[in-house]
Amino acid sequence: MKPFAFFPGCLIPVRYPAMEFAIRQTLPKLGIEIVDLEGASCCPDPIYFKSKDKVAWLSVAARNLTLAEDLGLDVFTNCSGCTATLSEAYHLLKNDELREKVNRRLKKIGRKYKGTSRVRHVATLVRDEAGYDAVRESVVRPLDGMKMAIHYGCHLLKPSKIMNVDDPNNPEVLEKMVEAIGATPVRHRNWYLCCGKACQHEAIPLNMMHALLGTVKDVEAEILCLICPTCFSQFDHGQMKVAKHFNDDYHIPPVYYFQLLAYAQGIPYDKLGFDRQRFKPESLQRFATSSAQVEN
Amino acid sequence: MTKARKPNNDDVVKVDFDFRRQLAKKVEGNLASFCYQCGACVGDCPAATYSDEFNPREIMLKVLYGLGEELLVENSVLWQCTNCYNCAERCPQDVKPVEVIISLKNMLADLNIYPPTVEKIIGTFEKTGRTTPLSPAVDRQRERFGLPPMKPVPMDEISKLLEPASDEEDDAE
Ligand code: SF4
Ligand code: SF4
Repeated sequence: MKPFAFFPGCLIPVRYPAMEFAIRQTLPKLGIEIVDLEGASCCPDPIYFKSKDKVAWLSVAARNLTLAEDLGLDVFTNCSGCTATLSEAYHLLKNDELREKVNRRLKKIGRKYKGTSRVRHVATLVRDEAGYDAVRESVVRPLDGMKMAIHYGCHLLKPSKIMNVDDPNNPEVLEKMVEAIGATPVRHRNWYLCCGKACQHEAIPLNMMHALLGTVKDVEAEILCLICPTCFSQFDHGQMKVAKHFNDDYHIPPVYYFQLLAYAQGIPYDKLGFDRQRFKPESLQRFATSSAQVEN
Repeated sequence: MTKARKPNNDDVVKVDFDFRRQLAKKVEGNLASFCYQCGACVGDCPAATYSDEFNPREIMLKVLYGLGEELLVENSVLWQCTNCYNCAERCPQDVKPVEVIISLKNMLADLNIYPPTVEKIIGTFEKTGRTTPLSPAVDRQRERFGLPPMKPVPMDEISKLLEPASDEEDDAE
């Protein structure tokens, strides 16, 4: 098993522990060993705290990265926001002047940023380190015939020069991940839109989500598969708001990819926290009778 | 919203170079200088698509003209940006309008102007080192999934990082 430092951030461990549980269950089955980072803080978030002071934001991000450097490990995140902050910090701190500035602050707490720990989102890590075939082989009950729309969100892929993950205009990584659990990815017309969470304006996210959910409904997807807890909150809690505002009914359960993988790997539906969602992916249960379910 | 003023004989724009200098001191705040106003950043901008008030090219133009007083205000249009980075993908000049916008927000913060929700989340982070508040219910939920309780963040370290080092160049020189 290859070890990687796990940076869980805030939103998943605090508000969506089922997602953390799914990651801890699924990665070891793909040959990835999870090493916890002691003393990590918020990444800090790329929307709010970054808006206050980019240098302080970079300094705290650099401190988080030094925790992984101490262990000599690369880092993976489970949230697109953390991915954005830590990847950007890793990129910006290649600049000598900025790194020196940040290191002057880190010196106050006896730390030094070196830039030796690379950062990846867990989806990218799985693609690069395990591969789609390993995902396919880990599945004991493929979600055959289940139509899934994908919401890439923004920070897995963009800015593409920093993320270097996939073509942001025509990505395939999540389609391949969905195929690897046996489901059928369906591309909806508004697949490239953002969730709108960062926008401090009432109408923009509402209109955007309305447009997006409409096209997901058009392609008759059973689930909206995503890889970010912020996008998840927008499409779960936020979906109720949009439905009310536009007097429309989509009923599209958003599901974090690694919970789907955990289910496909045999973890029972009841153990995956779906009861906490406003829109529950009940259609998954048609695979429950599969003899392959493992007791966990 | 007032459009960026264009120079003509009666109304010659005086560029506020001080505003531009302050902006250039922010990380990647100087990138707007490379903007040649092509508008490539606008087409895929979701905020521009769903709001008539927001246009990244226009914000870059205001920066070039030094019209800080139109951007650094309460309820600034800057907060309509969704941080999606489409503009940065499209810009042929590597301007990264989104980063210029965040640098402008850093200037708003220097003036102590924030939307209330933003200020609240920043406050939670500065107090606890996390943006999502903890509570006993959080640990109970975690326990249900066999996960250990959340650990406190070493705030002594974080607080020190939020302040400039004694030998750090003064940004507001
Ligand atoms: S795409 Fe770049 S150069 Fe063109 S208007 Fe936008 S910021 Fe300016
Ligand atoms: S990041 Fe750029 S493209 Fe996205 S909303 Fe902001 S200005 Fe528009």
